[in-house]
Amino acid sequence: MKEFVYDVFTRKERGDRLQHVGYVDAFDDETAKVYAWTTYDEEKWFEMCVVKRTNVLPVNRTDGLFVEAQKAAHV
Amino acid sequence: MSETLDTSTLEGANRDALVRLIISLADSKRLMGIRYSDWTLGAPSIETGVSTASMTQDEWGHARLLYAMLKQLGIDPSPVEHDRPGEEFASLSALDHERGDWVGTVALIALADEALSTMLRSFAEGSFEVARTRVPKMLAEEEFHASLGAAWYRRLAAAEGEAAGLLRSATEEMLPGLLAWAGANDAAARAMVDAGVIGPAEDRLSAFRDAVRDLVALVGMDINTVEPATDWDEVRGRASGRPDEEACERARGDRNRALLVE
Repeated sequence: MKEFVYDVFTRKERGDRLQHVGYVDAFDDETAKVYAWTTYDEEKWFEMCVVKRTNVLPVNRTDGLFVEAQKAAHV
Repeated sequence: MSETLDTSTLEGANRDALVRLIISLADSKRLMGIRYSDWTLGAPSIETGVSTASMTQDEWGHARLLYAMLKQLGIDPSPVEHDRPGEEFASLSALDHERGDWVGTVALIALADEALSTMLRSFAEGSFEVARTRVPKMLAEEEFHASLGAAWYRRLAAAEGEAAGLLRSATEEMLPGLLAWAGANDAAARAMVDAGVIGPAEDRLSAFRDAVRDLVALVGMDINTVEPATDWDEVRGRASGRPDEEACERARGDRNRALLVE
């Protein structure tokens, strides 16, 4: 069964910057949200979001995690 | 929303009915936590294991809050939690034995946890004040359980191989007891409806059927054709049977009795 990488972003307080805190492997958006919420539960987050890594479009880099994700998605 | 129930005037069969309802909910939460905890290691992925660990904590937290509601009726919850024999446990019949595979556990998350949430929603909207204040947070936490259960249920139902067949078997086995419990309509359940503590049986049953209809259709089942179990135990408010002894020992904390702190 195919799984995807989802990057996890959080902010602790309203007005804080959204920060990248890690990632989870999940097979769809719903499980990604649950996995992120239960895995990165060290704080009482004001906000948490997940982004499927293949939806992040590299702007200036030609290598790195996000470029690799784009390449893998188009194999 | 119903008027607030005055528990100081509750007596006899009505008081016993509320005690039965609270214990059935609390026992189910505690047993659910045990069944989830079996998968904190050995789940299909690390993320899934972390989620079952988190859900275990949720369920045990919910159980403690529910047992504590007995104090409103002048009952010390400690003996109820730690000293009852297994034949007095009032947990859902679907939780009576360990699920030997992840498929059965997914059915528990998607179906049995949903039956509990159905009853808790009714309880939260009723006349028992502490349920109104404490249960909504439980239900908010349960939304993650429902998401995980539904996602895994859909995934396994669509999988090739034996997974879909196993999922259907687990679903067929669980549903009658869950329907009987969610739609309980014996004298004690009717007393709770009359007191405004929970909603009518037909509403609860309909809500549960609606909640699981689309999921069980994925394994070829029509929820409207599944009949509730008829082997009903009116004393405990659940289908007949009891949890396995090992689970009861874990629920009571038998092996850690010397360390018990209240």
